[in-house]
Amino acid sequence: MAERKQWKWADDPSLNKMELTKLEKDGLDVIETIVNTYSKEGFQSIESSDMDRFKWAGVYQQRPKDGHFMMRVRIPGGLLNSEQARVLAKIAEDYGRDLVDVTTRQAVQFHWLTVESLADIFDRLAAVGLSSFEACGDCPRTIMGNPLAGIDPHEVLDTRPLVAELEKFFLLNREFSNLPRKYKMSISANIHNAAHAQINDLAFTPAKKTIAGEEVIGFHVWVGGGLSAKPYLAKKLDVFCRPEEVVKVAEGVTTLFRDYGYRQKRTHARLKFLVADWGAEKFKEELVKLVGELEPQGEDLLQGWNGGYFYGIHEQKQKGLYYAGLSVPVGRMDASELVELARLADEYGDGTIGTCNTQNVLIRNIPKDKIAAFQAEPLIVNRFKLQPNTFVGYAVSCTGTEYCNLAIVETKERMRALALYLDETVELDTPLRIHMIGCPNSCGQRQIGDIGLQGALVKTPSGMVEAFDIHVGGTLEEPQFNRKLNARITVDKLGPFLAQLITLYKADRLEGEPYWRYVERVGLERIQEQVDSILQTA
Amino acid sequence: MSEEQTETYLYKLEAVLEEGRLLTVVVLANSDERAFSAAENNILRHTVAPPHIKELSLVEKKPIGRQGVGYVIETSHF
Repeated sequence: MAERKQWKWADDPSLNKMELTKLEKDGLDVIETIVNTYSKEGFQSIESSDMDRFKWAGVYQQRPKDGHFMMRVRIPGGLLNSEQARVLAKIAEDYGRDLVDVTTRQAVQFHWLTVESLADIFDRLAAVGLSSFEACGDCPRTIMGNPLAGIDPHEVLDTRPLVAELEKFFLLNREFSNLPRKYKMSISANIHNAAHAQINDLAFTPAKKTIAGEEVIGFHVWVGGGLSAKPYLAKKLDVFCRPEEVVKVAEGVTTLFRDYGYRQKRTHARLKFLVADWGAEKFKEELVKLVGELEPQGEDLLQGWNGGYFYGIHEQKQKGLYYAGLSVPVGRMDASELVELARLADEYGDGTIGTCNTQNVLIRNIPKDKIAAFQAEPLIVNRFKLQPNTFVGYAVSCTGTEYCNLAIVETKERMRALALYLDETVELDTPLRIHMIGCPNSCGQRQIGDIGLQGALVKTPSGMVEAFDIHVGGTLEEPQFNRKLNARITVDKLGPFLAQLITLYKADRLEGEPYWRYVERVGLERIQEQVDSILQTA
Repeated sequence: MSEEQTETYLYKLEAVLEEGRLLTVVVLANSDERAFSAAENNILRHTVAPPHIKELSLVEKKPIGRQGVGYVIETSHF
């Protein structure tokens, strides 16, 4: 075990219980215990105080709590190579009942793991430069980025080296392994906000500024975003950050969170609470005290929001090379499909696979003369489509009751089936993003969906029935969270209800008007009238 | 859905009564079914005449592993 750090807050009598646990033994120390003890002696040997620390190894108990675990693997910036993909697939096959999920933070998630398998999995990941460490826990999580970094015609610089630097700096860094709460970073130079800046604790977005007569491409800095039960949009600091200052600024912001973030109540510990209290101005002042003077904001290069979607074949900034954005319905695949994806990446591209925060994937660097054959591949034709139908293509879902202890309803398979139904029932050529979640914690990012569906259980004469509350109008284009309607729809009626609601929008919208903008234009009251009218005739 | 849980949870339920009144009920239970049943019992105890519950829904559950777990219930001024 590494030498224990003497944190400045250690003697604070108002620390919450989890904080005391973290002071007793750093979360990262559990990795060694898992490898040397628990993986050899089994589930029963796990000390209850260590179970929470498993998160620092990237591992949680899954539902029901019968000895099986979920694991997240960090995919920094959403980029992995085919060799890594094959190792991930083999882990799923050997230990994870053949299941691979792509998450809304570009990570890869396994289920059904036993503690006995963890040491071997850690080794297999490390052998190909991957890690599950700190993918969960009160520490810097997977660093999100632009999965097109380096090839993106819509980026102003290649962020891959910066993601790598951030990952190298923060991963297993004991200076930052005891934060007040989870901590999420993103960096993207894509002008369409590919990495969802406003819902991260710390985000870097593209900007430029003329400094001493020289035009510098760099970043603006956002702090304090997050969803969950109390969603909050990040605040932009009055700062222009040169690329070479990114790690320094990230270290500074994370240090502020570590040293000034709240540790009295876990429900009031995320960076957003500190940012809300301090405001962006004071936050900047404190940041400058740590990292030195920073240039004030320059010109913002963000132009709208692509939602994190890249479907189809598109030319890269390298002439003659193309990337292919593929749909993975609700992010779930089996091991053989991941192996096949790796083969396609090798055979047609440069072996790189991108994971998207929309739970999808992409393949990069396909020469023009290989595109036709690529498009004819069975995996592309039948499963990971280049042009998915509208609803399947824009459906996002959390894990739900299948594996999650906090979920109230099943979501993953339900969202997949619902999207299929809507595609069969409503013809719509405009993307309409539906996000489904099984509890208020919002792993499926309900608040940013055009339509957000949040699960509830309703008592009926024939027993408990799953139902969903309806929220409308979420977007990061002109950032705003969706708002709740007065409607709790049982699952048997959910498909027809949504089909009618969307049909009304389709008839009423202006040309090309996305659903969130339509909601904004006609107003929530009008949408509620539509809902009431549908429910009256149901 | 009917699976017995190994943990006890603090449940939040919402009840719509026939006359339009809305109630939020918080109960401790170790399964979703028991949460519904406990909520109904608590509503019965809360009201003088047996209420006609139009809709009863379970909307959130939190494990009670940590002290202080709870809910904030938004209410209007009387």
